[in-house]
Amino acid sequence: MSAAQIRFFSLLRRELNRFLKIKRQTVGAPLLETFLYISVFGAALGSRIDTLHGFDYVVFIVPGLIMMAWATNAFSNNSSSILQQKFQRAIDDQLSSPASPLQLLLAFSLGGFVRGMTVATLTFIASSILIGVPLENVHVLLPALFLVGFFFAQMGVLIGVRAEQFDDVSFAQTFVLQPLIFLGGVFYSASLLPEPFQTLTHFNPVYYMIGLVRYGFLDYSDTNVALSLVFLTAATALLFAFNLRLFSRGWKLRA
Amino acid sequence: MDAPALQIEDLEKVYPTGTQALQGVSLEIPRGDFFGLLGPNGAGKSTLIHCTTGLAMPTGGSIRVFGHDAVENYGEARTAIGLAPQDLNIDHFLTAEETLDYHGGYFGMPRKERRERTAELLETFSLTSKRKDRTRTLSGGMKRRLILARALMHRPRLLILDEPTAGVDVELRLELWHYVQRINAEGTTILLTTHYLEEAEQLCDHVAFINHGQIVAQGTSAELASEFGVSSLEDAYLELVGRKELSRAHIPADVEAADAA
Repeated sequence: MSAAQIRFFSLLRRELNRFLKIKRQTVGAPLLETFLYISVFGAALGSRIDTLHGFDYVVFIVPGLIMMAWATNAFSNNSSSILQQKFQRAIDDQLSSPASPLQLLLAFSLGGFVRGMTVATLTFIASSILIGVPLENVHVLLPALFLVGFFFAQMGVLIGVRAEQFDDVSFAQTFVLQPLIFLGGVFYSASLLPEPFQTLTHFNPVYYMIGLVRYGFLDYSDTNVALSLVFLTAATALLFAFNLRLFSRGWKLRA
Repeated sequence: MDAPALQIEDLEKVYPTGTQALQGVSLEIPRGDFFGLLGPNGAGKSTLIHCTTGLAMPTGGSIRVFGHDAVENYGEARTAIGLAPQDLNIDHFLTAEETLDYHGGYFGMPRKERRERTAELLETFSLTSKRKDRTRTLSGGMKRRLILARALMHRPRLLILDEPTAGVDVELRLELWHYVQRINAEGTTILLTTHYLEEAEQLCDHVAFINHGQIVAQGTSAELASEFGVSSLEDAYLELVGRKELSRAHIPADVEAADAA
């Protein structure tokens, strides 16, 4: 292994080690939260709701819940990890090492990405056993989930670097991320909404992400799959390029 | 001719707040030197160190570490530097052993070498029994030892010690100086900032005074004392900061006797 590879894997190991050391909080709690959603919305309320677009209600919401688990965990892991290290100034150890901005950004991003993937995978396995979730278009599902996970991992990095205090992270999570995800149609089909809410939903980027993931699992979507995939790829690439520029300039990391 | 360990030319740093922390600092530290950078709080010592190690971005001038530009060729420059910062900036999620292992990894050390070096440094700094403990459970003195061990982990050629003995007990201070003098004798260049001027006078081959972001004097301790027309480095420093009335030479003998009692 070259020195550069050792460096990158050490940076990444640190990020993975962090969330694995507190796995009750970083993996256990989000899993429980997802199952509470499935129990309350699926089993309890779902029994009173007719099928949605031909699917049982609980089956209809599971793809969105899996995507939500990946997105929120990727985001919160990276924003918290970076902010904590900034507070302790422990991040100076990485910043004063020979690691390049690209290595630093990728390692910080992939920590949350892997945590999100872990929670999403466990949610999928358990949901498949309990309620049976179809897997119709894996060729769309995998790139869609990877892109969504990477997009929110980048958002987490951006917010973590920008944040001065923990309030900044929780503000972004509570007042921006959660409403976008909830109003993007995790628990309902946007086509059922009255106007103007149906039109407003089309301005929410998460709506297209959920559409892609739902298409991957159920072969049903309210959105144009190809176009959504192109826009999601472009948005993720742009956000990554933006973060890389910030890391190269040391914005909020190097004085 | 071999490039100096550290060569700084016209270094400037203006923070985004508008504070001009460094105003054209030029400094050269020869290889193998034990160099003291002294000055009051806020003089620019830490900013100079941060610019050298990549924790701050210089706004003018140049820094070369063993001939490598610290901004353009930061990989080579930072590999040569070990930094023991003033703050106890260790990661609370890690154990003492992991702290050293990850640091070695960030500097590209292979696993076997990391394992051996970690064991060696934990032993040297009396931390072997604490190797599996989370760093937040360590005492202040142990954290200070761990930070020094971390700075030495990748065998730097230039060791930067930013106030390493602040708040440290006598035993650790002496252990530290014995160790640092030994690695200096073996060829490691040392850059030390400290407020303990007697230590600087005893340990350093060369000293520079920095004040208001400028180097105002440099040379050996004896040369600086002579330049300011006094008998010690401490008195030279007091002359520099305009507080010569605090000189111990002015303390009457009976007060000294009472203090001693």
